[in-house]
Amino acid sequence: MKRARALAPLAPLAVIAATGCLLLSGVAFARTTAYVGATVHPVSSPPIENATLLVEDGQITGVGSDLEIPAGAETVDLAGRHLYPGFVHPLSVLGLTEISSVRGTRDYSEIGDVNSDVRAEVAFNADSELLPVAMSGGILTAHVVPTGGVFRGTSAAIRLEGWNWEDMTLSSSVGAHLEYPRLRPPSRGSDPPSEKEIKERKDEALKIITSTLDDARAYLKAIAAADSGSGPRPSFDAKLAALAPVLAGDMSLFLYADEREQIESALDWARDEEFSDVILVTGPDAAYLADRLAEDNIRVLLNGVHRLPERSWEPYDTPFTAAKRLHDAGVEFCIGDGGGGSKAPNVRNLPFHAATAAAFGLPKDVALRSITLSAAEFLGIEDRVGSLEVGKDATFIATNGDPLEVKTRILRAWIGGDEIDFSLDRQRRLYRKYLNRPQPGADSSPSLEGIREKG
Amino acid sequence: MKLAKCALMVTLAAMSLWTVITASASAETLGDPAAWRNDIPQQPAAVIVRNATIWTSGPAGRLEGADLLVRNGKVSAVGIGLRAPPGAVEIDATGKHVTPGLVDAHSHAAITGGVNEGTHITTAEVRIADVLDAESVNLYRQLAGGLTTANLMHGSANSIGGQTAIIKLRWGSPPEELLLKGAYPGIKFALGENPKQSNWDVDERRYPQTRGGVEQAIRERFAAALDYRRALEEHRTSRVRNLVPPRRDLQLEAILEILDGQRGIQSHSYRADEIIMLMRIAEDFGFRVQCFQHVLEGYKVADELAAHGAGASAFSDWWAYKFEVIDAIPYNGAIMWSRDVVVSFNSDSSELARRMNLEAAKAVRYGGVPEDKALEFVTINPAIQLGIQDRVGSLETGKDADFVIWSGDPLSSYSIVEQTWVDGRKYFDRTDDLARRQAVSAERAALLARARSFQEKSDDEDDEAEADEGGAAEPVAMARQEVVR
Repeated sequence: MKRARALAPLAPLAVIAATGCLLLSGVAFARTTAYVGATVHPVSSPPIENATLLVEDGQITGVGSDLEIPAGAETVDLAGRHLYPGFVHPLSVLGLTEISSVRGTRDYSEIGDVNSDVRAEVAFNADSELLPVAMSGGILTAHVVPTGGVFRGTSAAIRLEGWNWEDMTLSSSVGAHLEYPRLRPPSRGSDPPSEKEIKERKDEALKIITSTLDDARAYLKAIAAADSGSGPRPSFDAKLAALAPVLAGDMSLFLYADEREQIESALDWARDEEFSDVILVTGPDAAYLADRLAEDNIRVLLNGVHRLPERSWEPYDTPFTAAKRLHDAGVEFCIGDGGGGSKAPNVRNLPFHAATAAAFGLPKDVALRSITLSAAEFLGIEDRVGSLEVGKDATFIATNGDPLEVKTRILRAWIGGDEIDFSLDRQRRLYRKYLNRPQPGADSSPSLEGIREKG
Repeated sequence: MKLAKCALMVTLAAMSLWTVITASASAETLGDPAAWRNDIPQQPAAVIVRNATIWTSGPAGRLEGADLLVRNGKVSAVGIGLRAPPGAVEIDATGKHVTPGLVDAHSHAAITGGVNEGTHITTAEVRIADVLDAESVNLYRQLAGGLTTANLMHGSANSIGGQTAIIKLRWGSPPEELLLKGAYPGIKFALGENPKQSNWDVDERRYPQTRGGVEQAIRERFAAALDYRRALEEHRTSRVRNLVPPRRDLQLEAILEILDGQRGIQSHSYRADEIIMLMRIAEDFGFRVQCFQHVLEGYKVADELAAHGAGASAFSDWWAYKFEVIDAIPYNGAIMWSRDVVVSFNSDSSELARRMNLEAAKAVRYGGVPEDKALEFVTINPAIQLGIQDRVGSLETGKDADFVIWSGDPLSSYSIVEQTWVDGRKYFDRTDDLARRQAVSAERAALLARARSFQEKSDDEDDEAEADEGGAAEPVAMARQEVVR
């Protein structure tokens, strides 16, 4: 209060300053850039050769082969290059960790079972060394999720370039995250638990979930009653209050279940609880249930293609073909890399998960979509990213070929029209430094012809 | 109730399936036994693979429209328009690519009962060859990814972990026949955070807890080995009769083999300082470090590695999972390669070992290593690092006929393995694999139908006797006996 009063005399100045900023930003951003000569892969439509991508104020204002370039537009020649939307990572702890083995750098896994009030974006480190490396690999947007407990909290869709989490967050509260209890131990070959044991195990684990949801519903009912003056106001409960949007169907429920029976049980449970917007975060076992998933309209986040089969008797390519089997059944899906602390430094390998799915039968265009537009749709940010269409953010990459090919190099990247400075990538910095280390007995430039970043 | 019992029965029947498969059940009710037996594949007297793009990983480089001729399990010739002996197995590989079988210089697959004997800082006496798990299905899964040779090692919990075993992925063979006979013996060393127990809780800490301690712990063992040798020698040459001989020390025997150049060190390492440290210990004791494993800061000391003559078997792009790998870069392989270090990419993972070809492709992505040289990161280079380059790693006359037929460019994300051959025997064929799945699922359906028929009988009995919950147990047991017999 005291502070507000002290600031009051300055208010007119602030208004003037703000107006100035607006004017300045008007000048600074009212620029149009035409990226010409590249093959543009919009994802939402077939590729266009020798196309022009028009960008104004960080937004795409035109994509096509016969666009007129506005007078005064800056032109960037990208002949021979391929433009794709930046990859959208559907599930990671990027920004919430630096080195997962160093406890002080882990902010993704809260203690306790019920962490429904934990928000991922507030702990997002905008200057994490992992971010420039991810962007060099074409990951320009990430769904950042908390991973601790049964009710794990809410997640956010974040663009990886910016000054702090507030200006980087595209969407907070993308979803509420809930781990469904595993019904069987993950052991292989041992005697399976009896039906009775499974039921007991499930009931025990479900107790936390059902009692929390019951409490939340009662709490919200009491709040509503208090609001309408027909009851006393209950004391504030952050964990229960945080469940309001997902209970109201305003937020997706990300339901984690990996094993076949666990998935079936989770789906039954979600149906009985009348959750309408469920995204199943799962593994290859989901493909066994593809028909049901399609019928029930459950969206599937296939969390990792590069996995070993769960069981010794399964075909060797079971995890590789899961995406194709889901696709063939008509299930809406996107592809992740497994997520978690250990995967965070290497989110750049996400496209190769999709590529392996394509090698084992998923159509290539669907594979590409599964890590761009489909992922954006899952996160509810498809109006901003995921494809190169008019009205969307100019968030894209330039490559020397198909970005699902390991050999292909990502040469440049833009987020919201601003080019990413790849030289900030710690790994490229170290590369340059040691590339130029003088070699004893060699000429000044060692035998490195062909080893260049932008080949 | 009925549903639950049925589910139980189905589960039991499915469980029995594998027992059935491995127990050579009678063919009459179970379909075609050939569909599921793991016999050692035939070795044809001659095989010719025609009209492929052959990546030899040898001096011949990459050949278009070339043939590979195999005789009696060895490469007989690689070239254009080869003539095959009569009766040779002909494979038309038009449009396909052929590479040597891939070699993984760092694997923990097919080891039973844990990979770390982490109790002491040195356990040079323990041997992976004693604990091979020849039935690990990962061997087959990795064959399906084109892998044919793997260096199985202990983990990195202690500074000297134990003796390594180099195997060929001869799926279906007993453990002793997996071993690549005559391979140069190896021993696992480890430096840095793992031997100093940095990243996990232990009940009791043991020495060493620093890199300085690791250095001294290793030096001490080499010195002790020399003392041991001197004691043996003194006893042997002593004029005093009936002296008690020095007690035999299996650990120091193994370390003496290192000093004699009879056993090569494969050392887990990350940082530049510790890489230099171990090379200097070796030089002080007059031997050479065979190969550094992981070696993620190898790019900082590439010239030192080359001068010493150590190989570098790295992860392609892993980093930032521990503090000691904060400076790991995916350009590591390219820089070391450009400075004449023999570089390989390894898996250290039974899953990653199924797609080593794409790890090699990362040497193209990061640093622009030429494609045929990049493939060598998973073929001849690891073979050199393991001292088995006379046997495997390239397609050259006289070498083992270990090769892979790919659907396309082996460095392409979209290519898959069609066939994998070891010693001129076809151990993996995707077409056969797909057919076998059909046979197995038909068999499974037959078994389940049979189990259900017992279920129906049992239900009838239940109805009559109003049996309690245990009523189904007997028929289920009968069903199991039936199918297992």
